Amino acid sequence: MSKIGDNYTNTLISLPNPGLGLGLRSKHFNHILEHNPAVDWFEVISENFMDSGGRPRHVLRQIAERYPVVMHGVSLSIGSTDRLNKDYLTKLKLLAGEVKPLWISDHLCWTGVNSLNTHDLLPVVLNDESLKHICTRINQVQDFLERPVVFENPSTYLTFKQSTINEWDFLRYMTEETGCGLLLDVNNVYVSGFNNDFDPAHYIRQLPHDRIVQMHIAGHQHCGTHIIDTHDRQVAHDVWKLFNLAWELTRGVATLLEWDGNIPEFDVYHAELLKAKEFMSSIDGFGITGEQEIANDDVVSNPVNFLVNEVNW
Amino acid sequence: MQGMLVHHAPMQDIALPAAVEDIVNPSQRLSAVHHLDIYRHSYIARLRSCMQSQFNALAYALGPELFELFADQYLDTYPSESYTLNTLGEKFAQFLQETRPDAGREQKENWPDFMIELAGFEYALSIIFDEHTDEQPAVILHDTPDEMLKLAPVFHLFHHQYPICGYYLGVIQSTAPELPFPEESYSAVTRHNYKLGLFTIRGAQYHFLKNMQRGDSVEAAKDNLVKAFEFKRAELDKIWPEWKKGFIDAGFFVFYEPS
Repeated sequence: MSKIGDNYTNTLISLPNPGLGLGLRSKHFNHILEHNPAVDWFEVISENFMDSGGRPRHVLRQIAERYPVVMHGVSLSIGSTDRLNKDYLTKLKLLAGEVKPLWISDHLCWTGVNSLNTHDLLPVVLNDESLKHICTRINQVQDFLERPVVFENPSTYLTFKQSTINEWDFLRYMTEETGCGLLLDVNNVYVSGFNNDFDPAHYIRQLPHDRIVQMHIAGHQHCGTHIIDTHDRQVAHDVWKLFNLAWELTRGVATLLEWDGNIPEFDVYHAELLKAKEFMSSIDGFGITGEQEIANDDVVSNPVNFLVNEVNW
Repeated sequence: MQGMLVHHAPMQDIALPAAVEDIVNPSQRLSAVHHLDIYRHSYIARLRSCMQSQFNALAYALGPELFELFADQYLDTYPSESYTLNTLGEKFAQFLQETRPDAGREQKENWPDFMIELAGFEYALSIIFDEHTDEQPAVILHDTPDEMLKLAPVFHLFHHQYPICGYYLGVIQSTAPELPFPEESYSAVTRHNYKLGLFTIRGAQYHFLKNMQRGDSVEAAKDNLVKAFEFKRAELDKIWPEWKKGFIDAGFFVFYEPS
């Protein structure tokens, strides 16, 4: 790793733990502005605000004055073979300059090639070639943004025959090569583990825990043969158990509850987040039950319609 | 992989460079094709849902099945090239025009024109909602001199062949509006305190405000309206106080201090 990479590592390990956070959603704008709820911090979807000259940006400015904020992106497309989008990166940097986030995160994924954007977090082939490609791009992004970037493990629904590296090792190599950080999405590990036949607890144990600066927890939908990462309900008990394991191994890092579909009233959302406190101390035994309510197939992964502006009157 | 995702045609109808089984691993419970199908299903369902959010009134007007059909075809024809979903429907009105069912027929139907206008209007509203500008608080009083009035920084005028604004307001106010007959209509859209205001206006008001958009003062806009439409100036001056009050109440004007 270069000296600049070392600097990013040093920056990373000195990042604060702001506590328990919630995703900032337009449905809750008024509630937050009026009631100043006792939430430790908010995670904002960068793309919801970076082009906004209207209410979303106006609200974000006020939120950022009152709460610590983290910027979470869905469009960096670090695994794509298209060139990095300089226009996007420039706007991301401008927004960061305004909001002063604790850190900026995105996903280990690609969203499209040949200029198309699927608006999905697509899985990458995990091998030496892709590792080199992605690390080169992470270095470029971090140098442009002049800060370390934090990468999240996505929920995946397939694995490639060309993959030769386990995802947990791939993520570790990324951090070692670039100084980037990790956002451990515990629910995604559970979802991917079920879908792709690996043990989620093993995955979490293998990660470089000192590089994990944040965790995500969320609800999912079990479809019998597979699990969809729907972010539309309460966190499953098995995911809470995994969270407990991750909390112990990381010694506790910033934790955020994602809820992007069927978004409840703010107090319900906040109450679900606070359940995390019950899983921050040791629990006897570690066993995943696999007991879930089974749904029909009509569910969608990574819901994104909350990324479309809700026009206000 | 992307080629397998961005078209909602059945897998067997897509020309693939390699068999899915050669690229994707099966798992204990699913075949390689089933694994890929999870992404395929979610791709179109996810973006269709965004289209429904962005074109709420159009989805109501077309009904869920027809809207889904148009949206799916649109997403096939114009897949997203942007990192932001806010521009997903940018070409939807154009697409509806290109694919109108009466294309090539001499006798045109009315309803496609209505749907095209409605799609364009809804997309315009989403852009206006997020338009960059320095919003100024509305501090205009009814007795503010005319020469100290200028249009609000976010102010847009629309002229349609159907009562588009009224229909749109009917949908969002849940009054279950009927599909309208052709009727020329005019509307104005403002934004104050980051919230949109929609107003149906009269044709003469539209042209007066259009003159102001081109840079006319109130007096010049009145003069040009009289000239263009052979109105009687005295009659315009008579109704002006009523117009002015309505425009100020609606937030069309902000304070302007001539240099």
